Amino acid sequence: MTAPGPANGWWGADDLSVRFGGNIALDHVSFRAEPGRVSAVVGGDGAGRTTLLRCLAGALAPASGLIRRPGALVTGYLSAGSGTYPDLSVSENLAFRATAYQIPPATAAERGEELLARAGLDRARDRLAGQLSGGMRQKLGVIAAMLHRPDLLVLDEPTTGVDPVSRSDLWWLIARAAAGGAAVVLATSYLDEAERAHTVLVLDAGAELAKGTPEEIVAAMPGTLTVADTRPAGEAGRRAWRREGRWRVWDPADARGNPSADASGNGPADAPGNGQAVRPDLQDAVTVAALARELARAGAAEESR
Amino acid sequence: MIVKEFRQLRRDRRTLAMMIVMPVILLIVFGYAASFDVTSIPTVAAGPQAGQAAHLVGKPFHLVGTQPSEGRAWAAQQLRDGHAAVAVVTGNGRPQVLIDGSQLFTAKTAIAALSAAAAKGANPPTGNTGLPSAGTAGQPPADAATGRAAFGAAPAVTVLYNPGLGTSDIMIPGLAGVVLVFVGTIITSLGVVRERQSGTLEQLAVMPLKPRDVFLGKIVPYFAVAAVDLAIVVGVGVSLFGVPFRGSLAVLALGALLFLFVTLGIGVLISSVSENQGQAIQLSFMVTLPQVLLSGLIFPLSSIAAGVRWISYILPLTYFNEISRGVMLRAEPIGPLWQPFVFLALLGAVVFTLASLRFRAYLAPAAPRRSGGAGSTGTARQPRSTRAAASAGSAGSAP
Amino acid sequence: MTEVPAQAVAVSRAFGPFVAVDQVDLEVRPGEVVGLLGANGAGKTTLIRLLLGLLRPTAGEIRLFGEPPSRRTRRRIGYVPQSLGLYDDLTLEENLAFSAAVFGEGPEAARLPGPLRRYGGTVVGSLPLGIQRTTAFAAALAHRPDLLVLDEPTSGVDPLARARLWETVAGAAAEGAGVLVTTHYMDEAGECDRLVIMAAGRVVARGTAREITGDAHVSVVESGSWAAAFGALEAAGLPVALVGRTLRVPGAAPDAVRRALGALPATVTSAPATLEERFFQLTLASDTTKGHP
Repeated sequence: MTAPGPANGWWGADDLSVRFGGNIALDHVSFRAEPGRVSAVVGGDGAGRTTLLRCLAGALAPASGLIRRPGALVTGYLSAGSGTYPDLSVSENLAFRATAYQIPPATAAERGEELLARAGLDRARDRLAGQLSGGMRQKLGVIAAMLHRPDLLVLDEPTTGVDPVSRSDLWWLIARAAAGGAAVVLATSYLDEAERAHTVLVLDAGAELAKGTPEEIVAAMPGTLTVADTRPAGEAGRRAWRREGRWRVWDPADARGNPSADASGNGPADAPGNGQAVRPDLQDAVTVAALARELARAGAAEESR
Repeated sequence: MIVKEFRQLRRDRRTLAMMIVMPVILLIVFGYAASFDVTSIPTVAAGPQAGQAAHLVGKPFHLVGTQPSEGRAWAAQQLRDGHAAVAVVTGNGRPQVLIDGSQLFTAKTAIAALSAAAAKGANPPTGNTGLPSAGTAGQPPADAATGRAAFGAAPAVTVLYNPGLGTSDIMIPGLAGVVLVFVGTIITSLGVVRERQSGTLEQLAVMPLKPRDVFLGKIVPYFAVAAVDLAIVVGVGVSLFGVPFRGSLAVLALGALLFLFVTLGIGVLISSVSENQGQAIQLSFMVTLPQVLLSGLIFPLSSIAAGVRWISYILPLTYFNEISRGVMLRAEPIGPLWQPFVFLALLGAVVFTLASLRFRAYLAPAAPRRSGGAGSTGTARQPRSTRAAASAGSAGSAP
Repeated sequence: MTEVPAQAVAVSRAFGPFVAVDQVDLEVRPGEVVGLLGANGAGKTTLIRLLLGLLRPTAGEIRLFGEPPSRRTRRRIGYVPQSLGLYDDLTLEENLAFSAAVFGEGPEAARLPGPLRRYGGTVVGSLPLGIQRTTAFAAALAHRPDLLVLDEPTSGVDPLARARLWETVAGAAAEGAGVLVTTHYMDEAGECDRLVIMAAGRVVARGTAREITGDAHVSVVESGSWAAAFGALEAAGLPVALVGRTLRVPGAAPDAVRRALGALPATVTSAPATLEERFFQLTLASDTTKGHP
């Protein structure tokens, strides 16, 4: 079921805009997913992740812009609600997918068995999907989406609300799909997961907030980050947020680039002292971007008064 | 809690509608429309004295046809085909009165009227004695009682099709229709809405399945279930309750098939405007209740107040009841049943087509029209910035 | 407040033959934030329901503010369930008014906090998740509870909004409330003063994040052909995770890993475990009889 790859080497969206009535859900968003790689889409609720993924999967038509996607037969999609039938058993759910995607029965059975076993679901084969725990149901959803070896695998928040053990199983499935040549597009609310992806797109209120590899996004973060034990007073306090029991303070004015070698990392053994600079990770960079945009909007509102 | 419940209720438009509409419907039906009293009985007269019978017939009998040249066979056929509920056959000796027992309340009313006439006939009013012979036309009597008396001896009354005037014989064919309405409308709407509730609707939209296939796949099982249910109802009625099945199985099956197209189509339409099973049930209920009450199942059609009766004539169950009763009790062939068949066929075609179109929209409300193919595109670019629109106006060039 | 907001003493709860909570001791003291971690099915939700008085223990004792759960103790608790517990078809203001009235608070308790004011008249069902979560928090805090119980309060929310929710939590704790939180975000474990990790109904670790992680180590594999290494480790039955371009094996010492890799070219080192990996180790260890959950 493997068709030749996309003509220009990528599936995705180019200058995509989507409107729901008067509400702009996506505003000129461009996004590329390459075969054999995992691309993550990150952003808060209402940012437009689900809208983008729906367009990629073919469930939604854009108002303008271009979508490049393979046909329905070679696309796999996991919608935000797990997309499995709660009143069908695990194997019945997979059987339905197999016929819908025209997978020969022998192939479907073999591949299904293998994936179920690796995900730890083989013993639950005859259990109703509605009786599975959240993590197991998501695993089933991902297996169902990738059963037919799609060229493009679109997964909407497969790991949200899932416990860490099931999450690692899910990541195995995702990595396996990518290793098999699929372009995997994944929406997630976990920034540490996004760090494992090849490219990341950060959305905010329907627009691109940041885009690139995790390293590029971190490197592009303007200013520096310090850690404080309490929230600084005054204007600096508006640029601070809580993380892991302490406060991150962002200073946009300082010179760009990574802090010097004696700045602390984020490992558990290090504990940066009060006021010490810290190397930002993806979560920090994304938070800074969102904060910067928020401050800019607030500043513009104040100016116009 | 009370305040909260009221606030939520105020926003729940469907429940509000039900709370208001339901009592209104029930009021109209039970207070005004529904009645077991039959005031008008369609009657035909046959035989040489048919003309006289025409003058002698009075309330509650309402003459709808006379055929002096025809006899009992024709009269029975009129009853079988549902053209009349009572037939008077004149000729040698006593006149015969045939009554259609499959119209229970009409038959009972007719018999009561005839009995009252027979009682009155013991004291005939002056001026009208003996059999009217050919050429002797008495004054047309004012009512059926004296009219009957004018015939002299009481007519021989035969009740066809349900001689015992039992209720189950006529209810079971009606029940067949109700079962089809139930499965077709309520159960189907639940089955389709369930897809939306389980969140799998979007998955279906994305799969390489044609919307037509999804639609058919969704409703074919309910066709099958309805067929089985129908067979059970008819089978149990015939074998356990002794309900007759005098007509053609094929005709009934065809009628049921057409009827199912209508009810299943309605079920799908209901689900396409419902967000969850609760709403689907509410709407199904509001659509089904009038059918049960006004289709002639319980209250005879002719006794439903004229102001409301027009509703009965747009309800599909009304027509299926005609078919099921006609076929099972009166062995009515398909010919005289052309009206209900045509109505159901037309309604079925319309409703089913609408349902399949609505289903397509329900399945993928915003889906791109073109499916599949690498590099499929969205719709053409639209001008976004207001500046472009303004300059287009002034410069006269398209952005 | 002198009493301990919440206390579970050797609490067990069985549903027929299935033991959901197995002799758990737990305490939430005033002003502290306790994080409850565990895989799905570990018994977290059952334990919470026991603490709230929604379930009765089959063994052991639950004490809220020194007494068994009652309607009086319920008044001092603020609870935000996973599903938020808001009415989708009521507006923000109506939701807050309802909970204020239920807890016997005056209208000041129903007043919207600043950032929510512009959404006041909107039906909750049509608001974005972040706003819904903030509303649920406001509803739970309006009556100034002494015990706050939050079940996955930040699930699905972006980092900046998450930070702000945690600010609220820390604020409540600073005012003396005891807070019990469950979460799947490992970095939020750092927000908690203490952690309690559950697996298969029992407490398998407790303490600060540092104490729990302790000296645990994982093996780290770096290889040019990571896919092959992945496969080899899998075949040997070792749990592997791909992080960036390295493979981390939480459950095995470097020797075992080298043996599993065989002749494959790779460097195997040891590194300190992250809290998540320690959690993984603990969960797997208590699950040896059942295999995968």
